[in-house]
Amino acid sequence: MEGSREDAIEIVVLPCSGLDKEAGSASRELALLLQEKGASVVCPVLYQRSPKRYEKVLGGGRLLVIDGCKTGCASKLAAECGLKMVKKLTVTEAAKERGVKAGKNPNLREALRHLLPTLADELLSVEPVETPVAVGARDPFVGPVTFREFSVDKFVFRVPDSGYFFNENDCWARVEGTLARVGVSDYVQQSASDMVFFEPPAIGTEVSIFDEVGSLETTKTALDIISPVSGKVVGVNQEVVETPELINEDPYERGWAVELELADFDSDRELLMDSGAYFDYLKQKAEREHKELYGG
Amino acid sequence: MSDDTFMGVPRSKIPWCPTIDYDKCDYCMECDEFCPHRVFERREGEEKKLVVAHPENCVVFCKACGKTCDPDALTFPDKKETIELIKRLREEGKDGG
Repeated sequence: MEGSREDAIEIVVLPCSGLDKEAGSASRELALLLQEKGASVVCPVLYQRSPKRYEKVLGGGRLLVIDGCKTGCASKLAAECGLKMVKKLTVTEAAKERGVKAGKNPNLREALRHLLPTLADELLSVEPVETPVAVGARDPFVGPVTFREFSVDKFVFRVPDSGYFFNENDCWARVEGTLARVGVSDYVQQSASDMVFFEPPAIGTEVSIFDEVGSLETTKTALDIISPVSGKVVGVNQEVVETPELINEDPYERGWAVELELADFDSDRELLMDSGAYFDYLKQKAEREHKELYGG
Repeated sequence: MSDDTFMGVPRSKIPWCPTIDYDKCDYCMECDEFCPHRVFERREGEEKKLVVAHPENCVVFCKACGKTCDPDALTFPDKKETIELIKRLREEGKDGG
């Protein structure tokens, strides 16, 4: 149970311990199945009591997190402890995708049990997300970005001078020809705190303006990236998948999330702010929120 | 708490917020725990123990609370229709309407 083997460990599993629910029990069963296949399992209860016991295991493996239900206790625990997840699965969601509904299903336990071997195999085939396109010598997005900034109390917010377009969900698109890179603003990364997980969309996904185009988990919250543009996902920033904190370090350049082939930017543009307009909008918003929180 | 406008349109004119299906809701309160914008309110001792008390606080196009809902009890307005409405209201605003 404690994953104390001496050999090299590649896969480490942190399951939900919600034993009061069928899905919670299933997540434990799934973890044990993975253990049979060579993975190490971190007991979430013991980990909370005595994190040092798992220091070595967690330091040398790729972490899979299994949540029983959408409460997401295991992924919250991982986020709170700053553990880097390479993949996560929610049992109720995975079951729903395969036609098994949770809720008041009297056969849930049995139905989940049948699914577990499939889910175990899927989890063990952790593959890197497809590498992004257009990264390299001919990367059209390489180029100096300059910024304007403003302060609200001790917080300093940066907005690029030009070349970026924003929606009021604080997500940006940097457009070069028929391509756009999409990410979240400096305001988002500061408000949401440390990024711990980026779940990208699948390459090839068709996205409309204001659709979700990936999601982020931070030590404080979870949030969707709301796309400022329509198009097809043609690239995912693998660096951010592996190191989500890049969004905190450099939200407008190295911290981009996805790349899209634009569908109709002229139409999308009507609903977006340019850098100057977003600067003014954000300044007002940040000042208003600060006043609401701290008065004055 | 709420922004006055969204994309130049009075927020009160954009009907974007979650709707709770009370046949499905099991009052786990995960959505309320999750949402930082105080859209929901708990009602102790009432039949509907959770209500959408402040729809104007909901961030337009955000559906993140729905992801916390295992019984899928939360639904949102149609996004395309909402975009069309915003576009129309922006045009009317330009015309002084």
